Amino acid sequence: MNMIETQNLCKAYGDFTAVSDLNLHIQKGRVYGFLGPNGAGKSTTMKMFLGLTNPTSGSFQIDGKHYPADRVAILKEVGSFIEAPAFYGNLSGEENLEIIRRILGLPKSSVREALELVGLTQFRKRAAKKYSLGMKQRLGLAGALIGRPPILILDEPTNGLDPVGIHEIRTLIRSLPKQYDCTVLVSSHLLSEVELMADDIGILNHGRLLFEGTANDLKIRARDEGYPTDNLEEIFLAMIDEDNRKRGAGQ
Amino acid sequence: MILQIEAKKCKRTGFLPAVLLAACAASAFPILNMLVRAETFTAMAGTPFDILTDANWQMMAMLNMVLVICGACLMYHTEFADNGIQKMDVLPVRAGSLFFGKFVLLVLALCGMLLLETAVLTGCAAHWFPAYTWTFSETLQSAGFQLILTLPTVMLMLWVASACKNMWVSLGIGVILVFVMTILPQDSTVLQLFPFNTPYKTLATVQGAGDVPLFLGICGAETVAFGLFEFVFLQIRRWYA
Amino acid sequence: MSFCSLLSIEFLKLKRSKIGLLLLAPVVMMWVPSVLNADMNFDTRGIAIAPEYNFFIQGFMGMVWFMLPASLVICTVLLTQTERANKGLLKMLSLPVSPAKLCLVKFLILLLLAVAQLGMTICAYYISAAAASHIQGYDFLLDPLFVLRVAACLYAGAIPMAAVFWMLATLVRTPIFSVGIGLASIVPSVLVLNTKIWFLYPMSYPFYLLMTEYGKAAPGVYETQVQWLPWLPVAVGITILALAIAALRFGATERRA
Repeated sequence: MNMIETQNLCKAYGDFTAVSDLNLHIQKGRVYGFLGPNGAGKSTTMKMFLGLTNPTSGSFQIDGKHYPADRVAILKEVGSFIEAPAFYGNLSGEENLEIIRRILGLPKSSVREALELVGLTQFRKRAAKKYSLGMKQRLGLAGALIGRPPILILDEPTNGLDPVGIHEIRTLIRSLPKQYDCTVLVSSHLLSEVELMADDIGILNHGRLLFEGTANDLKIRARDEGYPTDNLEEIFLAMIDEDNRKRGAGQ
Repeated sequence: MILQIEAKKCKRTGFLPAVLLAACAASAFPILNMLVRAETFTAMAGTPFDILTDANWQMMAMLNMVLVICGACLMYHTEFADNGIQKMDVLPVRAGSLFFGKFVLLVLALCGMLLLETAVLTGCAAHWFPAYTWTFSETLQSAGFQLILTLPTVMLMLWVASACKNMWVSLGIGVILVFVMTILPQDSTVLQLFPFNTPYKTLATVQGAGDVPLFLGICGAETVAFGLFEFVFLQIRRWYA
Repeated sequence: MSFCSLLSIEFLKLKRSKIGLLLLAPVVMMWVPSVLNADMNFDTRGIAIAPEYNFFIQGFMGMVWFMLPASLVICTVLLTQTERANKGLLKMLSLPVSPAKLCLVKFLILLLLAVAQLGMTICAYYISAAAASHIQGYDFLLDPLFVLRVAACLYAGAIPMAAVFWMLATLVRTPIFSVGIGLASIVPSVLVLNTKIWFLYPMSYPFYLLMTEYGKAAPGVYETQVQWLPWLPVAVGITILALAIAALRFGATERRA
């Protein structure tokens, strides 16, 4: 069953097309790695899912619900983390989560739980603007994970973390579907990272979907098309390169 | 609930101290004025309360508007500064409830200020005009009237603040609006009904002209209109985000 | 690093800040109504003043009473916010530049922005005076030398006020308070002008200068001579003190944190 599905989703800013004719299929209970170079349209797609920006054309369903009619219902099920961490600098980490908790109507314990999950418990009283980059990132993640939503949309969640932190967060994301049966959409520009976390991979370049499937599918396709197959990162780079060359020729 | 949350967000931003400071500054006007020029005012004919409002309300109302402008800018600045508003946008709350929470909060703050100010005016009248007998209802009526007359200004200013991510742009617009309203000629009734202009009116002058229902009606309508406008604005903004 | 190259860097920071628009908007909004209401300048309400002077004084009055101080306050917010929003100031402090020098350069930018607005005001005055003359069939245009002299005086009189606002902006980190205090301090300036200690209140200087011009143009309205003593030494003292404090405290929080 598909938890998130899009039909010819497009977003254009003036004459620049950020996302074009996107057809994604994100299955329930799996981690979907959304891969692409910077500016490929990953964030724009995620922002559309969250209703932060309206699609120019096309449509999408999340858990069978349609945007914009079911906006509030969709947001109730989705925990999200978009680009730069969003928070209130004047409030402490705990207070930031408290605000989210109240809006979602969650029990009081969920704040503590979320803080523990990301390892911020000892800094919970400190004002968020005094957090280090990694701590801000963790706070953002806590805001997404709080209340254990059935769907998680995470935009480059490991940005700005140290290797230990990256590993922790990866392991956490990897374990989420098993722990409480949720679906995760996580973006990254590193295939090596996605490979470690995701069950399925979607590769995006210049707003178009180049590939969708498991890591194994990707290897098979690479072999068929004559890309180097020993290393996924090289497959990714070769695919992007090939696509860019085609686009260059088309123009 | 949304009100509690909005109040919480104002923690450590200096919103409350700003309100208190503005209320005290505005209340200081009539006191200072009486301390310096008591004879001038006690010699005037008319109700003591009206004499004092006539003499001081211009500046007090202006300070109130400065507070409204600063308060609105401050509240939205905390949203925009660290991207907090984006988090709010992806939480399942009805669009606009954030805005109305802020509106109510700002109105409550303004309420407190107006009560203190009218109380000080009454106190001054009672102190310097021994013959004056004051009533609660008069003070409350005056405060309530001023509150309703200031509502469109609050609503409009919050809309401006919500529309501009850069705090100084909304601040600039607010200041320019206050300024333009003070230099426009005051003899046209239509102009007097504009936001940023109505707060200068006092109950006594409007009563004298028999325009109380007109002012209350128009201010109420303006408030609702600007509120709806914000709602539509929030819907439209998603297309350009 | 030389003062001039620092200045050019600071100008670069203003790029795309739309500050020009914000300076221009009040100028336009203030002169358009005065053209539309130009006929009111003939009704001098018993004051012996020529309509062309009335047009000039009334127009500039709104400007110096509120808009000039308010523009200064807003510009200080702009200058400090561009530095603080993305920690730009922290970067500047880590470069080989003296913080005090940086502070004074920024103050100079503030003054230059005010001069830019002065230029706009004078242009707007001539355009609207020409328009009013055309509409009313009466010559509202005044001698450019007179207009330039008065306008320059008004802005020179605003320097101590600008210094105080700049000090407020550097001392008070919460922008809302520096702005709130700045704007609130404008409100009673006319009231202070009527007291004997007006010279201690920098926000009333430009208005004072305009009132003396008013006094010269319409006998009996106000004093005709500027009381240079004790005003001038006090004004200079306030300016130097405010700038010294600002320069000393500039970036203090960034350096501590």
